[in-house]
Amino acid sequence: MGKKHKSISYAKWGYIFILPFFLVYFVCTLIPLFSTFLYSFFDYYTTQSFQTVGPNFVGFDNYIALFTPDSTGAIDLLNYTGNTLLMWVMGAVPQVLFALILALIFTGIRLRIKGQAFFKTVIYMPNLIMASAFSMLFFTLFSPVGPVNQIIEMFGGEAFRFFSDIWATRSIIAFINFLMWFGNTTILLMAGIMGIDQSLFEASSIDGATSAQTFFKITLPLLVPIIVYVLVTALIGGLQMYDVPQIMTNGKGGVDGTAKTLVMQLNNYIGGVTKNYGKAGALSAYIFIITGAMSILVFKITGNNSGKKSKKGGK
Amino acid sequence: MKKRILAAVLATASILGTVAGCASETTSSTAPTDSSTTSSTTEDSKTDESSKEDEKKEEGKVLNIYAWNEEFKGFFEAYYQGLEYEVQDAEGNKSKTKYENAPGLKTLEGITVNWIINPSDGGVYQQKLDAALQGQADAAADDKVDLFLAEADYILKYTGSDYTMDVSTIGVETLDTQYGYTVQAASDANGKVKGVSFQCCPSALIYRRSIAKDVLGTDDPAEVQKKLGTWEDFDKVAAQAKEKGYYMTASYVETFRTFSNNTSSAWVENGALNIDAAIEQWTTQAKNYLDNCYTLPDGVWGDEKNAQMFEEGKTMCFFGPAWYFNFSMGNAQDPDKGCFGDWAITTGPQEHFWGGTWILAATGTDNGTLVADIMKAFTANEEICSKLVEEQKQFTNNMTVNQKYATDANFGNAFLGGQNDIALFVELAKGIKFEHKTVYDQLLSEKYPEYMLDYFQGKVDKDTALANFYKYVKETYADIKTP
Repeated sequence: MGKKHKSISYAKWGYIFILPFFLVYFVCTLIPLFSTFLYSFFDYYTTQSFQTVGPNFVGFDNYIALFTPDSTGAIDLLNYTGNTLLMWVMGAVPQVLFALILALIFTGIRLRIKGQAFFKTVIYMPNLIMASAFSMLFFTLFSPVGPVNQIIEMFGGEAFRFFSDIWATRSIIAFINFLMWFGNTTILLMAGIMGIDQSLFEASSIDGATSAQTFFKITLPLLVPIIVYVLVTALIGGLQMYDVPQIMTNGKGGVDGTAKTLVMQLNNYIGGVTKNYGKAGALSAYIFIITGAMSILVFKITGNNSGKKSKKGGK
Repeated sequence: MKKRILAAVLATASILGTVAGCASETTSSTAPTDSSTTSSTTEDSKTDESSKEDEKKEEGKVLNIYAWNEEFKGFFEAYYQGLEYEVQDAEGNKSKTKYENAPGLKTLEGITVNWIINPSDGGVYQQKLDAALQGQADAAADDKVDLFLAEADYILKYTGSDYTMDVSTIGVETLDTQYGYTVQAASDANGKVKGVSFQCCPSALIYRRSIAKDVLGTDDPAEVQKKLGTWEDFDKVAAQAKEKGYYMTASYVETFRTFSNNTSSAWVENGALNIDAAIEQWTTQAKNYLDNCYTLPDGVWGDEKNAQMFEEGKTMCFFGPAWYFNFSMGNAQDPDKGCFGDWAITTGPQEHFWGGTWILAATGTDNGTLVADIMKAFTANEEICSKLVEEQKQFTNNMTVNQKYATDANFGNAFLGGQNDIALFVELAKGIKFEHKTVYDQLLSEKYPEYMLDYFQGKVDKDTALANFYKYVKETYADIKTP
């Protein structure tokens, strides 16, 4: 009797202890989440003269408007989605590759790098700087009168307007994202590699496996779950890319809007002098769906199942 | 049992912690100064408070001022808080005292002045100010906006709203010495005046004397005016300047205000976006100037343009009112950078005005008397207005004071090589018209040139650049119809 009573009461306490989190989550996250979806079906905005229009129910009109071609025949939403994904890929691919190489070097048994803690701190450092500060720094570096152009001119070259060039702008944005996040990815991948059973590496070296064989046959397959995690989190962050391009292009999105991201468009709807709750809601819902779809895609491509299998096999 | 008690205590603590966290969060988020630069100056409270006791009970002790730069703050601190006045005591002894202690004037004693300054670029200032004004009714007395500054591009938004108050109710009268357009700009549709401006902003052509001598053979303002009196002449001289290795202007947006201020229609007509013929004319000129390298593809506040204000700068012409060369040409104003005094002003191809700062009273202020006194100090007080001209090189909104300096043969601005700029501004001020203005002007005038730059630089055709501008307008202002 006593035992039974005890177990019941402990479960109750467990719920009470997690209650604060759920209360905060409910009030601060869940309610705004649903209201965003709700507003996406309404015509609801403020004007420059302090007036509020709506909310008037309009069904899917906001969504249809997002997919309607403009006078030049372009569908902005698709353009901005393309820009966002492109700049993400340009930053994320080198980020993961570079992080993987660094993680291998730091965890390599044969290399035994000294001062690991120091290097880990250094490569993680860029992540501690605010993205906006980083963007301002690069904006100044690459400005027409900035140090980079001064160096080019010193060697007899002609000043290059980086922010008047589509690919230069995109590359700088991707590079900042790469620089900010490769340290974080390295730490994650290192944790993943160190989580692999050391006896497997020992066994492979006894069997005479080369470094390449060890990497492709042991490290990589066992690292797949971590890589999937890294990619999915990076993708979610990447689709929300905002601060770097916003500051680099002064909110305009570069030449012909080629560096404009989805969240920059969202900011134009909701973050400026006027608020368009309806359109912003529809756009947010779209970003949510895209993020979900892309995450599923990453899971499918990287074959999460095979990762689990080889893990089992390893054990 | 002990465990149960312990668990109960911990659970209560964690839940209370959450609630307490929520509570402190709400109080902090209602403070209007949240996430903006705030600096405060507290006047030292003095010992004899007996006579001022009554007034203190009526009025708030915190004066919150919203602004987008430090210009007015400087004037306020120098002349309202710091200016010394000569006073005479009962025995006839003369002594100097600070403005705040001068007899018959409102005191700043015991009042904290909060400056909430946000940059105006991209509408940030409007955004922060709007949030504060919309929360005004619920804000604590000391957190309410008392006074805020507004610029010609968006003043209509505030004067037309209920967030500003009729200043005649706090005892500020419109004076004949104020320029008519400054009063018109500060009035709502019913003619109620909501604030005052401390400056009048006719804009002039500002040129480098040494470059003018090289290109035109003269640096005399009257002679230069003859050679730059029309846009055709201006274009011709631009070509000559280029041959000698100079830029005509340092930013492709430099001449924008001369055109946008001479339009015959507004940016938004009957709810639809409208590009006036004068704006079209500017577009043609800017394309031409960039194609021929007469100017630089940099914004009006850009680094590249600012670098042209050094001694080694290669730019002949800038456009702007008195506040422009006093406050925004920092590089040129610095005597160590080599071109101080190498400047002069003249009318230029087209008369226009640019900007101006109005002081508006926020509805719900708890410092009405003080607000009114500040407004009077910067418009009616001739001593302060004279200081603004002499020490700050301002062109004030007090015709009597301006006239005094315009006719003073000994008055000259050292930055302009001793030229009497006030004399020219007095003439130019006569032509200022405040018309074809909308509440949208700031962002439309700021963004139109930015979006057209892609076309000017040959990255896209004109229609695409325009379409991108329309997109921006559509995303920002849901109520404006675009083509």
